[in-house]
Amino acid sequence: MRDRTLKYLLVAPAVFVVGATAVWPLAESLRLSMHAGRLSRPDFPQGFVGAEQYAWAFLEQPAFWNSVGVTAAFTFVTVALTTLLALCFALLLARGGRFRSGVQSLLILPFAMSPALIGVSFRFMFNPEFGLFDAFLGRLIPGAADINWLADPTMAFWVVVIADVWGWIPFLTLVLIGGLASIPRETQEAAEIDGAPAWKVFRDVTLPQLLPVLAVVIILKAIFSLKTFDLVFMLTNGGPGDATQTLSHYVYFNGFKYAEFGYASAVAWLMVIPMMVLTYFYARFVFDRA
Amino acid sequence: MIGGRARRRLLEAGQVVAILAFIAIMLVPILWIALAAFKRHVDVYQLKLVFTPTFENFARVFAEPYDLGTKLFNSTIVATVTVLIAIPIATAAAYAFSRFRLRGQTLLLVVILATQFVPAVVIVLPFFLMFRDLGLLDTLTGLVIVNLAIVMPFAVWMIKGFIDGIPVDTEEAALVDGSSRLQVIRNIVLPMAAPGLVTAGIFCFIIAWNEFLFALILTSREAVTLPIGLALFKAEEGDLWNLMAAAGIIIMVPMFVLALLIRRHFVQGMTMGAVR
Repeated sequence: MRDRTLKYLLVAPAVFVVGATAVWPLAESLRLSMHAGRLSRPDFPQGFVGAEQYAWAFLEQPAFWNSVGVTAAFTFVTVALTTLLALCFALLLARGGRFRSGVQSLLILPFAMSPALIGVSFRFMFNPEFGLFDAFLGRLIPGAADINWLADPTMAFWVVVIADVWGWIPFLTLVLIGGLASIPRETQEAAEIDGAPAWKVFRDVTLPQLLPVLAVVIILKAIFSLKTFDLVFMLTNGGPGDATQTLSHYVYFNGFKYAEFGYASAVAWLMVIPMMVLTYFYARFVFDRA
Repeated sequence: MIGGRARRRLLEAGQVVAILAFIAIMLVPILWIALAAFKRHVDVYQLKLVFTPTFENFARVFAEPYDLGTKLFNSTIVATVTVLIAIPIATAAAYAFSRFRLRGQTLLLVVILATQFVPAVVIVLPFFLMFRDLGLLDTLTGLVIVNLAIVMPFAVWMIKGFIDGIPVDTEEAALVDGSSRLQVIRNIVLPMAAPGLVTAGIFCFIIAWNEFLFALILTSREAVTLPIGLALFKAEEGDLWNLMAAAGIIIMVPMFVLALLIRRHFVQGMTMGAVR
């Protein structure tokens, strides 16, 4: 067979799978989002309503804006905290050697944990009666032991943040160690020989060269933060009230608890838009390196 | 000079302490869950480090009404079949992307990359309706189909990275000697790419094993997987922590072993080659 034909035959199955499992559902949710779609009624989906359900979300649904706010705050805080802490740990671990490499290997473990299980684990740790963190914080800060973490809207938000940051630090740290390793040592050594203090070497020499990797890490983490569902579902289930209801959870609730498929699809599509912007930037980094 | 060395040693000691504190924070939640799995019900409710270990929790999660064995079976089948379908398909595509120029290649690669970033809730709404009509709700077949959606982009990009790293010279020599392209792929490329294919397979297995949202929505009784099984232990009388922890061990320990096997490639897989 000629290569000219063969190459298209080789990619065809993959293109079909991606088309059927990702592109088709995207198009189909867009169609659903423009139809009134109450699953409980037999004539599903009902008539075409255009952008009405989008307008409904924007104008009539405070719960939608609440989940937008929760998701935005959650994304901002988790991206900032995870990146900052991971950068500190990457700098501590980058030098290699047996001890540091061993620690790097251990870092894989939290990352191989399913987010649902991380949710369970942190609900256990923050239990006000017998949670380990709860007891620990109670020793550290007087009065903290009396806090019922997951029943308080503000505290529950921060517990979800802590659990998420905990789960993502290992991955970001490992990526940044890779980034630090790819920076040529000579530039840093030259600055050290010139007598520059360590923090200045970092700020003026290391950090600028690390920026592309940092950008990739920040975009990737932002994408995953925006999508957060498993962790929230197992840790707080959006509560108390809707204090930790992310957009994914809001879509899930409307689609599968209230059977409002049309409306859920509209909100789901509103999530796709920021995702496309982030993916665009991410793809640019991937292809610049290729 | 001595002063400089002493200072450096002090700095190193400080760093070691910081690293130890950091890794302790990363491991404590895992260890605490692991300990709880071996505690009797009464011991869970106390912050005890010393207790009489028991295997009773593991016996209970595998017995009725929890029947974790079935979920373990379901998870294993779904993850295995997903990988067995995804890897050959992804390998074929990755080879073509790596060795040829295709029309619309960049667009195709970007679409495959972007697939990974589509929120799962967007994908699951139409699939729920389709599976309802086709009778695929609560079946392992249905779960395999949706799991392909999440592993495919990782598999294609990861394997493309491995094949990019194989020099083309041997292939070209064999082609000149009269081998066909398919013979070259079978006899030269596949053996050389094998470690990469295994790595990508393990990576996809972990993703499919930990998958939560699809299984939550698309299964109810028969096809429930392990992560969804966790929710069984949220009982009316409160959470059954020791049983949840035992189930947690069963979910996470096999993945720890697999993740350690491929730890060098984890970062590359997750970032799709944006960071090497």
